[in-house]
Amino acid sequence: MTAPARVVQIFILLALASPAVLVAMLVVGSIPRRPLSERAVARMTSGAVITTIASLAIALATYLVTGVEPQTWTARKWFATTSGALQIDLLADGWGLGFAFVAAVICGTVSVFSYRYLHRERGFVRYFILYACFVLGVQLMALAGSSEVLFAGWELLGLSSSLLIAFFHERRSPVTNAMRVFAIYRVSDAAMLVAAVLIHHLFGSGSLTVLFREGMLTTEIRSTPQLAAISFFFLLAAAGKSGLVPFTGWLPRAMEGPTPSSAVYYGALSVHAGCYLLWRAGPLIRTSLFAEILVIGAGVMTTLVAALAARVQTNVKAALSYATLTQVGVIVIEIALGFRTLAFVHLIGNACVRLVQFLTAPNVLLDLHGLEGAGAARGPQRPRLYALALQEAGLDVLLDALVVRPFLALVRLGTRLDVFLSGERPRVGPVGRETMP
Amino acid sequence: VIPILIWLGAVFGLPLGCVILAKTRINAERLRIVAIAIAAVLTVVTLIPLFWPTLHAFHIDPPSVVPGRGALLRLDELSLVLPALAAGLWLFTLIATPTLVLGADGLRFTAQSTLFTLAAFLTERPLILALVWAGSVAALRGAFVTTRSRMQHAAGMYLGVSTVLFAAGAILYILPTPRGSALELTSLTLLVAGAMIRKGIFPAHAWIPAMFEHGRLGPSVLFSSPQVGTYAVAVLVVPRAPAELLRVIAILSLFTGVYAAAQAVVQRSARRACAYLFISQSALVMAGLDTASHETVTGALVLWLASSVSFAGLGRCLVVLEARHGELDLARHHGTQEKKPLLAAAFLVLGLSYSGFPGTLGFVGEELLLGGAVGAFPWLGFLVVASSALTGIAVLRMYFSLFTGRPIATPTSLKPSEAIGFVLITAVLVTTGLVPAPLVSSRQRAGAHLIEQREATRGSAVE
Repeated sequence: MTAPARVVQIFILLALASPAVLVAMLVVGSIPRRPLSERAVARMTSGAVITTIASLAIALATYLVTGVEPQTWTARKWFATTSGALQIDLLADGWGLGFAFVAAVICGTVSVFSYRYLHRERGFVRYFILYACFVLGVQLMALAGSSEVLFAGWELLGLSSSLLIAFFHERRSPVTNAMRVFAIYRVSDAAMLVAAVLIHHLFGSGSLTVLFREGMLTTEIRSTPQLAAISFFFLLAAAGKSGLVPFTGWLPRAMEGPTPSSAVYYGALSVHAGCYLLWRAGPLIRTSLFAEILVIGAGVMTTLVAALAARVQTNVKAALSYATLTQVGVIVIEIALGFRTLAFVHLIGNACVRLVQFLTAPNVLLDLHGLEGAGAARGPQRPRLYALALQEAGLDVLLDALVVRPFLALVRLGTRLDVFLSGERPRVGPVGRETMP
Repeated sequence: VIPILIWLGAVFGLPLGCVILAKTRINAERLRIVAIAIAAVLTVVTLIPLFWPTLHAFHIDPPSVVPGRGALLRLDELSLVLPALAAGLWLFTLIATPTLVLGADGLRFTAQSTLFTLAAFLTERPLILALVWAGSVAALRGAFVTTRSRMQHAAGMYLGVSTVLFAAGAILYILPTPRGSALELTSLTLLVAGAMIRKGIFPAHAWIPAMFEHGRLGPSVLFSSPQVGTYAVAVLVVPRAPAELLRVIAILSLFTGVYAAAQAVVQRSARRACAYLFISQSALVMAGLDTASHETVTGALVLWLASSVSFAGLGRCLVVLEARHGELDLARHHGTQEKKPLLAAAFLVLGLSYSGFPGTLGFVGEELLLGGAVGAFPWLGFLVVASSALTGIAVLRMYFSLFTGRPIATPTSLKPSEAIGFVLITAVLVTTGLVPAPLVSSRQRAGAHLIEQREATRGSAVE
């Protein structure tokens, strides 16, 4: 291995280790009864984020200046199995490093904003523990070279996102909404896990190199039906995480969290995680017409639904999130059509613009005294279209009718059966709506 | 031989001493301190074989004592970590259970239960296993003397039937029958039926939620978490059972995994939800063992340890919360996070390990199990994914209900001993999840040995 490649590797590892150490320090620091001071948390977070940004800047600069070849390398062999090994593979190429660097800068910006925004907030330390998990998750996802690393990053994003939506947990509605979002994230995670298993069975390892890099798929592999299945499950995973159709309905629910987390999750990075996954899997998607059609269909539908919904929102954060989603749909279409560079630039640009818009949203409200609800005050021009837009094209209602209610009815039947089999008298009434996730 | 005898003496003598001590009129607080010290020493003693090759593998096999195949007492790759699991769970129970709910009787039950579990994990003889099985059931019934009769009726009936079936199977098992004969199949079916009831495999699962709901939670958790039924299946059934029987059990277990996880999502009682989570994971372990491939057996053995530790922690979280807040209804938000952030964090990590979250031991087990299960059952194998997804939803719903909401007025933080217990158990799950290689390779060797045994036995049956 050449010296520049070694430098890139070392700094990538440092960029990943830094948020991991931050998580460990904040968690361990929270164990004693006396909580960490805000200043200590801010210093630790700043130190970790600056280390990540600097490391990625050096890695990216070294990569670009010295012309290191894109490569996947095993950072650590996790454990061996009879059918291969689960290992921590990292993919070092310009795109991945670029995305990781932009993500780190965005995280740094939001962390500085968060210190002030959450000053004297009761869950200050909790927020930064979750935030550190998010930074780690994004970096793992950006630099993943194996399905295990990708899955770990994916799960960290989902969990931290849900827990931050429920940040103001004294009220019931953030918690209920966080539960709903988490349920959809679990569908997304399950799809990712299925894709990972299929990758293991097809290639004998979890390495994503063949799928994520151009020109690596041989003709023999291209003809296997599993490739289309992997594409489908990647799309399902991306749809859950990025709010593509039919999962669009969770986005306004996610706005219950603190504004900085909304900015970084639903304006900048988390909502684009699905796009990044599809962008990475671009070479795979283009091997199957079925997958291409599905991705284009999801993109078009998402753009239409989000553009429609954005026009009827009565609060700034929800309107911004739908505006973001409109662009996410367009990016997905670009990916499916093969405009990878355009899609990548679009993704980065949209993330940065939305971040600024989200962070300035509270100020806009203050300045204009009444922006919220302004759209509603105008009244609907076309009532039916307005109602459709207000219900996000009825996608949530459809999901409830087709999936949630039949599932709950079936499970309730099982509960009755269990009560009968155990010979006990039910101590509580039947499961009501309030217990639904 | 002498180090082995000393080690065995310590392993059985320490909990036995605690049982005897609990029957004396010793002060309850002092008894608790002594019991914690004994459990700590026992945990250290059970860890010795991991580092001392003399104790790494031994067989004590006097043929005349108890009839039957296999060693009377032994330690091999499969059982190497199991005594440490039983002792560690006992120590954790003593440390983390509030004094209010763990009196002298409770302490005696924990020691008895640990003694039976240790005896089970160190023997291969079917009759000894059946005796230990019956003993642990009797001890549990003893712990439930003061609780409602309805629960005793349901759980007692199921456990009684499971004991009878297992004992009948064990008696038939030791008869000199030709391999592959109808009698052997009958004995294996009886053993499996007993184990399935004890582990709560559908449709014999309904007694577990009833026991958790109406019985005493602490003893129920300690009785269930080591999964003695899994051990019995691994030692007696997997090496000899025909492929068709194992296949049927594996499919039933996979279905149970999803069914129970789905039930956990909608329960209103935290106890019932916890019981269903146990059934789900326990069923996945059973499915892995009965799929009988290298990868699934390894996955099942890892998941067994992960789910035992996670479940003990989750159950104990409920015990701690119930001792302070009474009955836990999941339709309400209890707002305990502000006063008990450490317990909230521990609950989350333990629950996430249950759902196979990366960075915990549960992920390692589930990943191995999933890979193998999909290989064995190309479609049904994905039920593991469904179970994991539903478990995650159930755990987060429980977390939100138990810990979020308006902060409660009563200042009831965790006691230092409870806090230490939860920190330790969480650290064990995370450390073994981040550095799983030593544990996985040990379980791989144990799995390979089981498969070898099976191939040898089945090979001779064909001949």
